[in-house]
Amino acid sequence: MKTILSVENLIKKYKNFKAVDDLSFDVKKGEILGLLGPNGSGKSTTINCILSLLKFESGKITIFGCEMRPDAYDIKKDIGVVFQEVAVFEELNVIDNIDYFCGLYIKDKEYRKKCIDDAIKLVGLEDFKKFYPKQLSGGLLRRLNIACGIAHKPKLVFLDEPTVAVDPQSRNNILDGIKKLRDNGATIIYTTHYMEEVEILCDRVIIIDKGKIIASGTGDELKELSKIEEKVTVEIDSLDEKILEEIKQFKNVDEATYNNGILFITYKKGKNNLSSLIDYLKKVDVHYDKIYSERPTLNDVFLYLTGKELRD
Amino acid sequence: MTVFKTFSQVLNKYKATVLMYTVMLVLFGGLNFKTSDNNVNFTASKPDVLIINEDENIGITKDFIDYLSEYTNIKDIENNEDSINDALFYRDVNYIIYIKPNFRESILSNSPNKDEQFKQLISSSDRTIVEIKTTGDYQASIADMLVNKYLHLADIYSNTFEDENEIINHIQKTLSLEVETELTSKVDTNTLSQVTFYYNFLSYSVLAGCVYVICLILSSFKNKEINKRTIISSMNYKSFNLKLLLSNCLFAIVLWLIYIILGFLLVGSIPTNYLIIYIINSFIFTICSVTIAFFISNLINNKNAINGIVNVVALGSSFLCGAFVPMEWLPDFVLKIAHVLPSYWYIKTNELLKGVEVFNSITLKPIITNMLVLIVFIIAFVVLTNIVTKLKLKK
Ligand SMILES: Nc1ncnc2c1ncn2[C@@H]1O[C@H](COP(=O)(O)OP(=O)(O)OP(=O)(O)O)[C@@H](O)[C@H]1O
Ligand SMILES: [Mg+2]
Repeated sequence: MKTILSVENLIKKYKNFKAVDDLSFDVKKGEILGLLGPNGSGKSTTINCILSLLKFESGKITIFGCEMRPDAYDIKKDIGVVFQEVAVFEELNVIDNIDYFCGLYIKDKEYRKKCIDDAIKLVGLEDFKKFYPKQLSGGLLRRLNIACGIAHKPKLVFLDEPTVAVDPQSRNNILDGIKKLRDNGATIIYTTHYMEEVEILCDRVIIIDKGKIIASGTGDELKELSKIEEKVTVEIDSLDEKILEEIKQFKNVDEATYNNGILFITYKKGKNNLSSLIDYLKKVDVHYDKIYSERPTLNDVFLYLTGKELRD
Repeated sequence: MTVFKTFSQVLNKYKATVLMYTVMLVLFGGLNFKTSDNNVNFTASKPDVLIINEDENIGITKDFIDYLSEYTNIKDIENNEDSINDALFYRDVNYIIYIKPNFRESILSNSPNKDEQFKQLISSSDRTIVEIKTTGDYQASIADMLVNKYLHLADIYSNTFEDENEIINHIQKTLSLEVETELTSKVDTNTLSQVTFYYNFLSYSVLAGCVYVICLILSSFKNKEINKRTIISSMNYKSFNLKLLLSNCLFAIVLWLIYIILGFLLVGSIPTNYLIIYIINSFIFTICSVTIAFFISNLINNKNAINGIVNVVALGSSFLCGAFVPMEWLPDFVLKIAHVLPSYWYIKTNELLKGVEVFNSITLKPIITNMLVLIVFIIAFVVLTNIVTKLKLKK
């Protein structure tokens, strides 16, 4: 598939601090690429460098097959960006805000009107067209922020943590909107530190820490990296120390802990882990309230790769 | 168009404040008009001149004396050093002219065929054909203007024509056209001081309006995040900045035009030559206000601070420079400080204009100088703004 964006050996320093450290990756046409990383890992800095908003020490950025430069207006016209911070005019209502930012790209009035309508529909702001930013809730404001960035129907869209501090309803709306953008043919780069979003949304994920790529691939590929394959949680009123020790000796068990009435077991590869546990608990006559098994998340992958949690 | 459209939409949000400054101008600048209604027509008063003719009173010398008699009050004072000095001291005369014995001969010998050495006599600044003593006041400047005018014409025509009568005829024709119009402009001094007050107050409304509106609008457009969106868009950033600059200038010019028209409606008419200078002066000041606003908006990006800044800059400088109270009421040290403020030079011009009775190089010179100072301010603010922008970019 066609490469839309390629980043080669990007290095960006603030004074002596390397915020982006020799980053390289490609983005293919029509995919949603997730940039996942904890706070301060260099996601926004990377995007700003790609967009020529920041000068960088070294590296090469190619978009649509051409080198990106501050005055590459031909490239810029097909790029849409939604920054982490909300950037709208507080003096303008929803429609006028979108109209302004769209107008920076599209001169034709009729076509622009259609674009604005589409954008409003996409983010679900139909009932708030005449509202001023001050009158919008945090979630709605984020949606407006997105509409302003993508109204001109860009082919390549950057979304920098568009769901930070957003209520679940707006979040779902935003995620749906992003999928729709992709379905309409856009290529999307999505940064976040919510791994749940990445798992729902992204075709491919790059995990960044301290400005370096520490892993990349599809969600499943990444989970392969982790030594854990299954997590089992059992709610038990009381548990004998001896039984816990015995569980730890089970086949495939990586770790087992018992705290505050919760028995938590992680398994390495292997089959029938849950059923053999249930059988065992029956045998030793331990009563439990609930028992459930989970697949590992990207957080576990991150924890495994860096030894720290993705979010603190 | 997008930039301009959004500019006017944002501007629309701040119209109440602009309206407030306008109402203040009408109320305070206009209220003053109604205080005195007795209009006095005024003709430039003739200077008192003493002529001491050492040449023969014939030909061009006679014509010169006749010309002076027509436009000045000729005084008769005993020709000795003491009484002449007394007359000057007590201002019995403003201007004393000694016509040297070689006056006529020198002018006539100035013909194209004559020696170079004679040509120098009339045109050079240290003339040997007349000698002058003056009180150096305004009346004296009128007399000086009259004398210079005549000698200048004499110089020109004696260079082109041989015949004395022909020279005299040409001089007379030209003078009757020029001097007449210059001296007989009737000025209603009352209206003039009212207009001056209006235009002085205008400096406050223009400066406050420009700084307030331009700073607010720029703080929106140049908000860090919004500016990022503009930079990554496909609109050429230089052309965006230019459009923004033009929109701001357009706003300021429209504001200025409205104030000029309001001035017309409120004051009635004053002679065109005065009006033109008031208008030019206020235009230069308006442009200066725009540059000040751009400079300030580069220093602060906080919307909440703008109101305070407007008060400090516009109210402060207008008060110090005499926009609300006449300059003469202000203490000397305040006026000294005010020299560093553009408003001072603008208001100074208005005040000078109020006292002008005749427009000539002497009365116009300080006015033009003040305008040039304003232009220097404009250049300075543009340069400063550029420096600040560059420094910020480096960061
Ligand atoms: N202007 C700056 N000057 C100095 N250091 C900076 C600057 N901007 C960012 N940094 C540093 O660079 C690193 C990367 O910042 P960046 O904003 O790219 O992180 P991020 O991954 O987007 O984080 P977040 O999830 O919080 O948005 C951080 O450690 C930050 O402190
Ligand atoms: Mg960020």
